[in-house]
Amino acid sequence: MLTYSLKRLAQLFVTVLGVVTLVFFTMRMIPGDPISAMAGDNLSGVALDKMREQIGLNEPILMQYLHYLGGLAVLDFGNTVTTKLPIIQLILDALPITVAIATGTIVLTVLIAIPLGTVAAYMAHKGHKMLDNAVTGFAMVLDLMPSFWTSLVCLLIFSLALGWFPASGTVSLNDPAGLLHRIALPVLVLSMAQVATMARITRTSVLEVLSEDYVRTARSMGWSELRVLFRHALKNAALPIVTVIGLSFGNLLNGTVIVEFIFTLPGIGNLLVGGINSRDYQMVQTLILFYALIFVVINFATDLGYRVFDPRVQF
Amino acid sequence: MNYSAAINTQSALPASNALLQVRDLHTHFITDSGTVKAVNGVSFDIERGERIAIVGESGSGKSAMAMSLLRLLAYPGKVVSGEINLAGRDLNRMSERQLNQIRGHEIGTIFQDPMASLDPVMRIADQMILPIMRHLKMSASKARAEAIDWLARVGIPDAGKRIDAYPFEMSGGMRQRVMIAMALSCRPKLVIADEPTTALDVTIQAQIVELLKDLTEQTGTAMVFITHDLGLVARFAHKVGVMYAGKLIEFGPVKEIFAHPSHPYTQSLLDTIPPVDQPERRKLAQIPGFPPDMKLPMVGCAFKDRCAAAHERCFRETPELKSRGLAHRAACFLPEGLGEARRRDMEPIPTLARNSTDRVVVEVFNLQKHFTGRSLVPWRQPATVRAVNGISLNIREGETLGIVGESGCGKSTVARLLLGLDPVTSGDIFVDGTAQMVFQDPQSSFNPKMSLFDIIAEPLVVTGKGNRAERTARVHELLAQVGLDESYAKRYPSQLSGGQRQRVAIARALAIKPSVVVADEPTSALDVSVRAQIINLMVDLKRQLRVSFVFISHDLLTVSYISDKIAVMYLGSIVEYGPADEIFRHPAHPYTQALISAVPVPDPVAEEARQKVPLSGELPSPLDLPPGCAFASRCPKATALCRAERPVLQAYSGSREAACHHAN
Amino acid sequence: MTQETLALSARSLPRLNWPRFRGAGRLLANGHIRLALAILVPIVLLTIFRPVLPLPGPLDTDLRAMMQPPSLEHLFGTDRMGRDLLSRTLAGVQISMFVGFAVALVALSFGLIMGTLAGFFGGVIDRVMMAITDIFLAFPSLLLAIGLVSVMGTGMLPVVLAISLSDVPRFIRLQRSLVLSLRTRAYIDAARTVKASQFWLMTRHIVPNTIAPLLVATSIAAANAILVEAGLSFLGLGIMPPAPSLGNLIRDGQSYLEQAWWISTLPGVVILLIALGLHFLSDGIRQVLDPRSRK
Repeated sequence: MLTYSLKRLAQLFVTVLGVVTLVFFTMRMIPGDPISAMAGDNLSGVALDKMREQIGLNEPILMQYLHYLGGLAVLDFGNTVTTKLPIIQLILDALPITVAIATGTIVLTVLIAIPLGTVAAYMAHKGHKMLDNAVTGFAMVLDLMPSFWTSLVCLLIFSLALGWFPASGTVSLNDPAGLLHRIALPVLVLSMAQVATMARITRTSVLEVLSEDYVRTARSMGWSELRVLFRHALKNAALPIVTVIGLSFGNLLNGTVIVEFIFTLPGIGNLLVGGINSRDYQMVQTLILFYALIFVVINFATDLGYRVFDPRVQF
Repeated sequence: MNYSAAINTQSALPASNALLQVRDLHTHFITDSGTVKAVNGVSFDIERGERIAIVGESGSGKSAMAMSLLRLLAYPGKVVSGEINLAGRDLNRMSERQLNQIRGHEIGTIFQDPMASLDPVMRIADQMILPIMRHLKMSASKARAEAIDWLARVGIPDAGKRIDAYPFEMSGGMRQRVMIAMALSCRPKLVIADEPTTALDVTIQAQIVELLKDLTEQTGTAMVFITHDLGLVARFAHKVGVMYAGKLIEFGPVKEIFAHPSHPYTQSLLDTIPPVDQPERRKLAQIPGFPPDMKLPMVGCAFKDRCAAAHERCFRETPELKSRGLAHRAACFLPEGLGEARRRDMEPIPTLARNSTDRVVVEVFNLQKHFTGRSLVPWRQPATVRAVNGISLNIREGETLGIVGESGCGKSTVARLLLGLDPVTSGDIFVDGTAQMVFQDPQSSFNPKMSLFDIIAEPLVVTGKGNRAERTARVHELLAQVGLDESYAKRYPSQLSGGQRQRVAIARALAIKPSVVVADEPTSALDVSVRAQIINLMVDLKRQLRVSFVFISHDLLTVSYISDKIAVMYLGSIVEYGPADEIFRHPAHPYTQALISAVPVPDPVAEEARQKVPLSGELPSPLDLPPGCAFASRCPKATALCRAERPVLQAYSGSREAACHHAN
Repeated sequence: MTQETLALSARSLPRLNWPRFRGAGRLLANGHIRLALAILVPIVLLTIFRPVLPLPGPLDTDLRAMMQPPSLEHLFGTDRMGRDLLSRTLAGVQISMFVGFAVALVALSFGLIMGTLAGFFGGVIDRVMMAITDIFLAFPSLLLAIGLVSVMGTGMLPVVLAISLSDVPRFIRLQRSLVLSLRTRAYIDAARTVKASQFWLMTRHIVPNTIAPLLVATSIAAANAILVEAGLSFLGLGIMPPAPSLGNLIRDGQSYLEQAWWISTLPGVVILLIALGLHFLSDGIRQVLDPRSRK
């Protein structure tokens, strides 16, 4: 176990380094002068040079790279251009909102998708094609709805027409009920797409397991179908399901950007969009990096999590 | 059938002594392309403590019938009618709940594939103990003791600790023992065993069969044993039922059926098996044609299209199982079955003239193949698998060398080395001409996107032989040689049966006129009757083309039938080498002796008379080769010398060599 | 029974006698594909023939008919500048189709070539390729696209490139794993025994057997590309107005959601339909060309 973890950690580190480097150099490849873009037309000549020096853009690129890496090591991501506040601070302020949305979504999704997928698989196994097709078809349609569109439709129906949920407003962590009320719609929207994928994968995985020999052995010992489903099938089907829960986090990273934008929630997604619009490259660069790191770490955790479910996974 | 409510299941039939009475069982599989009548009216009885074998080829419905007894059919299978009377109660009319009381407790099951039949993420203990607790109403601790006791009885060493292991920590043979223990642990009156030894190696199979015999005799449990291996039937069963196209076409005591088979199918089936001791070499019987399409309605006898003795009544009426005396029943209008027509085209095979001046086409000297793993940490030595550990042999023109052995002996690796598919670690291989292959797996033998013409012509195209017209002529010639019509060239692999695929594989192998054809388990995936066709074909080709064969298999009967010389392999070395007949009649090496005694022959009288001492122990892994003789750990004759020093192949008699310190 | 009789009797195969449907015939017979075509073909035709349809152009403003709900005159209604929404939607579909097609083509070609090389030759090439794809796969697709667009700017080319960059690694991985599983098939060994060249093995045996799963993945990648492009345009990072991308249109309607619900809703329905159609297409291809895969 230890050797495997170390090996994976090493791989992780290499990937992360690759991501950092890629992001860094890509950002530097912006055509045109980023400084002028940032500063607008207000500054000229000497002032521009001074700004460059401040940010370090007048040094050779490799030096900049090393400086950057050094900064990362101490978690100094630089400051935003607009407000001159340290980026790390802004990110940490915005993170809880995004985490709240993500957690809510995952919980809701798992609670709905896994039973739904299991039932669909059971139906398919027994040959009740109609019900199975209905569930699968419905899931497919949900999955393909673009999340921004679904958000607007939900906004229209639940917020503007029915008035059940607010469309905008302040968010505060000190007010959990209010927070929940505020993020309910985004969580609903995101869950719809996630439920579809997770239910589909659950269905496929459970269906495959149900036709395995050991399920038949359990039945031959006199266990009822329901018991076999829960005691044998689910545990064996867990592996792909765990993978998809990990993948869901990844998709959520995509999704939160959009819902935060539409529902004006001050999470890191909104920071990203704001940063692009105001040409704050430091911010964008850092956020992209941040997202990538989260993704990579989740994959790593999923990998290690396999061991819990499948004792065959040897290291 | 309404399975949801408990219904009165008392049968209308008079009570009899039989433990299980099956009457007119019908099972259908309702698919999109039609309804397959897998079991088409089967009736038989099982007495207490009796062992019945149900024998048939693929498509006969034997597995479907076995699964129907406990309603363990997968969708879209359904038992549509019939009675299954277990001591007066009809299982077919029971609710699912009532049936769950029967499953495991009164009727146990052993399935075919031990690697897949146990829940991989659950410990053995959890899988075994809970049913015991439920069916036998025991407490957890008592049930656990009971389970451990059973594991010990089936021969699992250190049962008290092993019960907490996971299935993947055990070998195939061990897992099957666990399954047997599980099936017997709730004290059933009857056990249904669906091909329980098919997936196991020969020596392990022998162990399991003896174990089953002992245990069923001790506990008085009856057994329904599904198999395609007639030898196993002879060794193991009291009565046998032969199934064809969903019907039982013959049923009766084993000795009677083997001595006087009445149905043409049974007769032909027995004649397709390579005989052990033949004074004069004869061809094997062949059953022409294919089993009928089970989706179509059956008119007349199901076997009529393939029967040499069929007459017009067979096309009109369906024969029923009628008594032929002493509990022997057969479903055929002819009292003698094939009668005179039996064995008619089992012509004697003329022996090839052979002398020692024939050129040598293959010469192998001290061949070694080692696989070295990769280690992550520099201070640990990587494991080396000595798959082939010093092999020497030679093959002359027109000669057939058989290589026999079980899993892990290295025979498949030798095949790949001979064909040049893998590089050798050390040693010499000399092939005068080219070597071509015929492999086992019919699914992956051909590119599914290529037509048969392209498949057979590929060797010619790649080696640049001839133009298009010449190649076309050659392909047609090859197809004719393997007994396929020219029109087959346009077809695709998915349209062929298993036997036809192997014919095409042989045609492809012969395309560039190789000196030697290496066949690795070419018949193992085929039904018994089809196997005979392919074996006959290879015998014919041997004579006509004077091509050498290397026939690799674990099936000793087939190998000894078709080969001139045999090499017996164990853990990467040849332990015995010499003429096929001699080795089979007087094996010198203890492993060869054990192997031969482990192979059941389809002759119940001979089987009874034989001394069966199955080899103990598991098949070792080639990862950890001991310094001395590789066989010492299981050899009944092993001494300290054997464990210390590795024996080399020495001349045992004029033409034979054996690698044993005690053979001479 | 001689070999001849055996050959003759083999000619009458009762149940193995299904003829081989090659190509179009079998594809069209599949229900999923038919459904997919029923959805996609009308949309494609309408888009291609839009210029000759009796509709106002997508950029034609009509200040007398601003924010009209759907009616017989304007089937999808109009937006705040009086432009006909149906016309703009169809123009947007044209953009989506182009993006979807372009991304699919790029991903398929690169994935096919590089994946085959990586899977077939292994060794250093494989390890380097895996490390690089790992880095790109570390980004969720939308974010990668956002990042790249912020560097390259907006417009068609950056969008196509950005989306492709997250699909190409996926295709390389897919093809590589397909190749790895095919490499050990017996027919490859058979060809090697006659010393067939690597090129022959790759082109004659491996690639034809990977095309089917690749096509399935391509159809899905096209659907995904269309969705991502719409998302980018929605965020203002993709195709910029006045060029009508479906995402743009939805963004336009965001501010008038209560008054003019049709501006944001109807183009979204079209996106959904196209994506559904492409998914049914991929399902159908999978069922037809890969008979052993279970549904």
